[in-house]
Amino acid sequence: MQQALDVVVNSFLAAGLYATMAYGLAVIYGVMRIINLAHAGIMMLGAYTTFTLFTHFSIDPFLSIVVVVPLFFAGGVALYRTVVRRLPRSGSTPSMESLLLLFGVWLVLQNLAYVLWSGDTQSILTSYTLKSVSLLGVRVGVPSLGVFGMSALSLLVLEFVLHRTYLGKAIRAVTQNRDAALLSGVDADRISAVAFGVGTAFAGLAGTLLSTLFAFTPDFGRSFLLKAFCIIVLGGLESVTGVAAGAFVLALLENVTAAYTAVPTSLQDALSFTLLVVTLVVLPQGLPGLSRLAHVRRRG
Amino acid sequence: MSLLSVESLDVSYGNVQAVWDVSFRVEAGEILTLVGANGAGKTTLLKTVAGLLAPRRGRILFDGRDLVDRPAHTRTSDGLVLVPEARQLWPGMTVLENLEMGAWGKRARAESARTLAEVFAMFPVLEERHAQKAGTLSGGEQQMCAIGRGLMARPRLLLLDEPALGLSPRLVREVFASLSAIRKAGVTVLLVEQNVAHALALADHACVLETGRVTLAGRAQDLAGDPRVREEFLGVSGV
Ligand SMILES: Nc1ncnc2c1ncn2[C@@H]1O[C@H](COP(=O)(O)OP(=O)(O)O)[C@@H](O)[C@H]1O
Ligand SMILES: [Mg+2]
Repeated sequence: MQQALDVVVNSFLAAGLYATMAYGLAVIYGVMRIINLAHAGIMMLGAYTTFTLFTHFSIDPFLSIVVVVPLFFAGGVALYRTVVRRLPRSGSTPSMESLLLLFGVWLVLQNLAYVLWSGDTQSILTSYTLKSVSLLGVRVGVPSLGVFGMSALSLLVLEFVLHRTYLGKAIRAVTQNRDAALLSGVDADRISAVAFGVGTAFAGLAGTLLSTLFAFTPDFGRSFLLKAFCIIVLGGLESVTGVAAGAFVLALLENVTAAYTAVPTSLQDALSFTLLVVTLVVLPQGLPGLSRLAHVRRRG
Repeated sequence: MSLLSVESLDVSYGNVQAVWDVSFRVEAGEILTLVGANGAGKTTLLKTVAGLLAPRRGRILFDGRDLVDRPAHTRTSDGLVLVPEARQLWPGMTVLENLEMGAWGKRARAESARTLAEVFAMFPVLEERHAQKAGTLSGGEQQMCAIGRGLMARPRLLLLDEPALGLSPRLVREVFASLSAIRKAGVTVLLVEQNVAHALALADHACVLETGRVTLAGRAQDLAGDPRVREEFLGVSGV
């Protein structure tokens, strides 16, 4: 019983972070039909930015968010305006050019990090890094709680922006039907720049949050990119709730496997990859497809 | 001066040319209908006028200004608005959100409350269903939502691509009635239709498009009596 509670609480905490991480990828794919392969590199850069702010300016990692988010938003907009927008538009599937370009950006970011911070493993040690509290009888690290709180807050803000502001509605409109958005007078290119900025800011934020939990090197982020793919395939692109649900399913699977099976944690990546493949085969529309299916059954 | 003047337009998809040397004019206040069989190039033509496709050659003058280098979204704020083929609503957004987003441009947004009231007056069912996801509407309701969204942009020229496609006869009549009301409200209409009898009865002028070329043009009334049109589109042979 206690173990089951452990699993649920830990899955919940991890899901918040996973959703933040995946949303950055989802918004860019949704608006532009581009897979941001540089996502992992941006998370890594977010971690190092927080690290530098912490070591050089003694800024608390969670406080560094107020620097990281605007900085990475601006960086994302700049990256879009300088290179990404020049990619040929390819309709409904990501073009080879976009994959190559963003993979290249990832390599550049990695090498930049080697130059700036060397290849040594770094971590952030604050006064609360090793502290824990009891939540429903489960020992929970203070950083994990902070990470969950920031993730939940960012997703709530996001949900509000997407549904209550004109800009957010324009992002949804371009995601659902780009031509219709153009025909209504929406400058899809401007919205794409904003979306790329938002996606980059979310990746940076995820990097900051990850840096409070894990040690990192310039290669950091790869396995989290895989998790993010898996979550998007599960949760779809249509809603923040979908992404959150996908994140929870993945986190639950990881925690259940760790608690009840002998599968070593070093195989976690294989786990998310398996879930990705199984979802594609069994449930190509992801969890939203499941509810649609149930809906049809109930009607028919 | 005509409100819209299309001059010698050529449009291609890659190496395949779909529109050949097409010219026509739409006068302010009128309804012009473009009729033609499936694949004649009607949608291609409207998309080009709206800016979703770039012509290979030719000019598109709206109110005397050449639009060819203006991106699609700015044409909408200029007052040239396309209600696209197959409705193209945002299925995951509510009816109200679809309509609100139609009034995206600065000028349209300033008047959106008044326009919304007009749209609801024209299509009361949209008011009833305003909180429903557009993807869950019936075909006829979706079409009304699409026309409503177009009107929210406060068009001077409304282009409609087969608004009656797939609708029941009663709904077709309703949609055509709304088009006459729209014209009465001072909006010029360019209507693409395969429902030729209805379209010719409604329109002032008409053009017939065949395999990418304008083969007949004139007053709608005259075309309705033209033996070629009667045979080809109205199912009357032998005259
Ligand atoms: N996206 C496309 N790519 C290539 N050819 C197309 C495309 N869309 C339409 N066409 C071709 O252009 C011609 C005109 O099509 P269209 O404008 O859709 O005709 P209509 O609207 O009159 O039915 C057709 O031969 C069609 O096959
Ligand atoms: Mg067509």
